[in-house]
Amino acid sequence: MRTARRRRTGALAALVSAALLLTAACGSSDSDGDGSSAAGSSCKPAGKKVTLTFTSWVPGMQDTVDLWNKDNPDIQVDYKEVVGGNQGTYQAYSNQIKAGKTPDIGMIEFDNLPSFRLQDGLQNVGACEPVKEAEGKYVDWAISQVGFGEKDAVYGIPMDIGPMALYYRKDLFDQAGIAVPTTWDEYYAAAQKIKAQGATIGDFPTDQPAWFTSLAWQNGAKWFGVDDDTWTVSLDDDPTKQVADYWQKLIDEKLVDTIPGLGDPQWKALDSGKEWSIIGAAWTTKLLESSAPKTAGKWAVAPMPQWTAGDNAAGNWGGSTAVVFKSSKYPYEASKFATWAFSNLDALTLNNKNGGQYPATTEGQEDLPALTEGLSYYGDQKVWEVFAQASAGVDPSFQWGPTMTDTYAALADGIGKAVNGQGTLDEALTSAQDKTVETMKSQSLTVAD
Amino acid sequence: MTALPPTTTVVPPAAPSGARRHRRAAIGFLAPFLAAFTLFYLVPIGYAVYQSFFKVERQGTFGVAHDVWGGFSQYGEVFSDSEFWHSLTNVAQFFLISVPLQLGLALVFALLLDSPVLRAHRFFRLALFAPYAVPGVIAALMWGFLFSPGTTPIPSIADRFDLLGPDLVMFSIASVVNWVYTGYNMLIIYSALKAIPSEVIEAATVDGAGQLRIAWSIKIPHVTPALVLTGVFSIIGTLQLFNEPQIFRTISSAVSSTYTPNMVVYSTSSIPNYHLAAAYSVVLALITCALSFTFLKVTQRRAFQ
Repeated sequence: MRTARRRRTGALAALVSAALLLTAACGSSDSDGDGSSAAGSSCKPAGKKVTLTFTSWVPGMQDTVDLWNKDNPDIQVDYKEVVGGNQGTYQAYSNQIKAGKTPDIGMIEFDNLPSFRLQDGLQNVGACEPVKEAEGKYVDWAISQVGFGEKDAVYGIPMDIGPMALYYRKDLFDQAGIAVPTTWDEYYAAAQKIKAQGATIGDFPTDQPAWFTSLAWQNGAKWFGVDDDTWTVSLDDDPTKQVADYWQKLIDEKLVDTIPGLGDPQWKALDSGKEWSIIGAAWTTKLLESSAPKTAGKWAVAPMPQWTAGDNAAGNWGGSTAVVFKSSKYPYEASKFATWAFSNLDALTLNNKNGGQYPATTEGQEDLPALTEGLSYYGDQKVWEVFAQASAGVDPSFQWGPTMTDTYAALADGIGKAVNGQGTLDEALTSAQDKTVETMKSQSLTVAD
Repeated sequence: MTALPPTTTVVPPAAPSGARRHRRAAIGFLAPFLAAFTLFYLVPIGYAVYQSFFKVERQGTFGVAHDVWGGFSQYGEVFSDSEFWHSLTNVAQFFLISVPLQLGLALVFALLLDSPVLRAHRFFRLALFAPYAVPGVIAALMWGFLFSPGTTPIPSIADRFDLLGPDLVMFSIASVVNWVYTGYNMLIIYSALKAIPSEVIEAATVDGAGQLRIAWSIKIPHVTPALVLTGVFSIIGTLQLFNEPQIFRTISSAVSSTYTPNMVVYSTSSIPNYHLAAAYSVVLALITCALSFTFLKVTQRRAFQ
């Protein structure tokens, strides 16, 4: 009995080691043929009918694609809707890049763009004619986000941006006689008055590190930089610390809720008058409308509170690019479609109507008919004017890190501890800083100490 | 005892070729299994081990990554990562909170189902097993909805106890896991109870033993092997804990991205750092093997004699 069992395990071990050898053999031949071609400098039309694959999670993007397909029989686009980037699509992209089987065009938010650049998954479409033609159309910081400071480089075509503003319950503020805060000091004072009314001014979302990032961005934080191929990381710089200390005070005095953001708990709190405002991005417009339907007509939008009275600084939360993946054989056609889909006014109108996208082109922001109308949910206020103003106030020099998923995770973990009384936001910055540097070093990047 | 079929005794000369034919047939039947086993089990395991021995090297800001042989360097990172070891202490605590209750309840339910005291056996058997049919992700979403102060239909409880706070969130997750798996473990124990020869129970009844006495002195000792088996499943299950805490992470700030070892692996692969993630997986698999094996060794002498 005993010997029989031993013999069986022996056979199993032999089988395992055989499998190991097999994979080892496959793997080594694989890594020898690492043909990392120089960045595609030429970008020519394929000269034949092509079908491109495109994935995104923008609601209703199929309509935009249909419009393109109707007018462009030679460049057909096969569209597939996927889940939000951080909910699994980024992981899928990473795997597809490793396997060399990506779609031609994908959607990537600005903050994750460097990470896919680092994975060598993106094609530089800066030399493509359609991109060159469209380059001047984009707002400055959107285009500066996609080039990483390299000459004539474009690694993603800006789709939309997320300048931020303050959404507030006009009716409640008016009734209580509380002025809409224009500075962070006033925001703090308003929060105290609202607490006396048995509500809160809003939420410090515990699971949205990108939200916190955009607040630091507004205050002029510079988290990442590159100098002579050496990365600098300063998540704990002074502007960020000022933001952290400010919110720590509001959290400690229980002037804000500390629940996860953009989910049912927060929508319920906003729709029931438990929270009176939300600091959101342009895309929050549609989201709030559909998630807090009972309070329709009672909302209004004001610019973000400022650190210095009279300034016009805004943060940016989210915003995306359409990238052409490295394995695509048709960069010309792909960039032609992408520039059309995110700068043509008809396409932008559809994107805004279906997906609440706020255009990344100046022409789109100024001339889009949909953006000049008042929205009934916001008491017929022309809310997009507020975002146009905010868009002009976004600091274009803010840069993202190359391992943002990890930075966000570390930041969210630290924020979780802070709101649970097991730490502070300051400590969250320190731990996120350390973790980010460590992770970047494990990716063999040079990081300044 | 059973009589041999006459054919085997009648044609002995044909036996060798028959045996060979049998063996060939056996291999034929086994081949699909072995192929699938190799393809879907051995190769991925081998690939993970292989990947764990590499590291990334690159030059410049966004230099192209080259996989170079890293020896045990990834394992060095694993063993020096305090978060990973902390996640293991998390699941150890979770095990202590969750498993005794889960297996205890499973045993009690199984005994009740097996006793003549309970009516409507079929209904209860199905009702208790039904949660296992609910995917863990859905169960976590559903219970999370009940636990969140903002969405719960019973705010009196959720407001008084911070079920998603740092003190109680582990109990909340444990209750989801227990809800799903108690019925599953119950069925394993229940089928072991069904295997007890009826004459043993009859003899005990004739001797004047009551239901409790029978349960304590006959049934529980008899199902000890089944309990050990469910114990091993629970060790493995706890170490692999992923779905429930990952879902709870979206509703509770007390669940970090490195709450369980599997979440460490997941967040590492999201960086993406496949080599380090592979090393974590290999270490986790080895720990799981070692613990299950030790548990079996310790309990074996008592349970499988």
